[in-house]
Amino acid sequence: MFKALADPTRRQVLQLLRQGPKSAGELAESFPVSKPTMSAHFAVLRAAGLVDSAKQGKAIIYRLKMSVLEEALMEFSQLLGLNLAQRAGKASGAAILRKAPNK
Amino acid sequence: MTLKRTAFAIALAALILGMAAGLRYSQSLDLIGPAAARRAMQVAIGLILAAYSNLMPKDVGPWRSSAAAVARTQSALRVGGWSMTLAGLAYAGLWAFAPLAFADVASTVVVASAMVITMGYGGWTMLACRASRKLPLDVEGQA
Repeated sequence: MFKALADPTRRQVLQLLRQGPKSAGELAESFPVSKPTMSAHFAVLRAAGLVDSAKQGKAIIYRLKMSVLEEALMEFSQLLGLNLAQRAGKASGAAILRKAPNK
Repeated sequence: MTLKRTAFAIALAALILGMAAGLRYSQSLDLIGPAAARRAMQVAIGLILAAYSNLMPKDVGPWRSSAAAVARTQSALRVGGWSMTLAGLAYAGLWAFAPLAFADVASTVVVASAMVITMGYGGWTMLACRASRKLPLDVEGQA
């Protein structure tokens, strides 16, 4: 479960599924990654028991299947991930400024 | 799955009964006072409520024919799960730390409010689902 929640793309998939069930195609459209990569993400989420899927015609529909604790953990890791990303952004910005020649 | 759940529920019931008996016995030996025994029991009840409610949104049930119905069921389960889990934690917290007279009233109010929210939202969701079914146009996924 922690592995599933560790990836930002998977967390975003879960955020999208909060609005309601979505097809694999609909979800994949929201991310700039290849379909096999998305399928791998879906497989990890399914294996962790965070989503449930059903086949409707040719499409595979996904829906959220998270406990309150899992959802809270997701929010927490989202917040932590965001902070880490912001820190990383600030750090790289500071490094660029240090490298830049003084005018 | 059903067997696992039943076994879990029976184990939990045995734990509650065992805890009640243990507290009673400790009380008879003057190891703890009646207030502490009552607090301990109520905290356990609050934590059990929170643990059960935590799993509520995970129990998604069978797939429905309409995407809107699936979305509404999911949102009703999430609202119910969150409100009852928070109520269970608040119940446990109140019985652990608040004065007994206050905890007695406040814990009941907290759980009753969560139940009203859960049942109210569930009822509203069901009515909205029925209303959208009566619409002549196919509004699947948009309602």
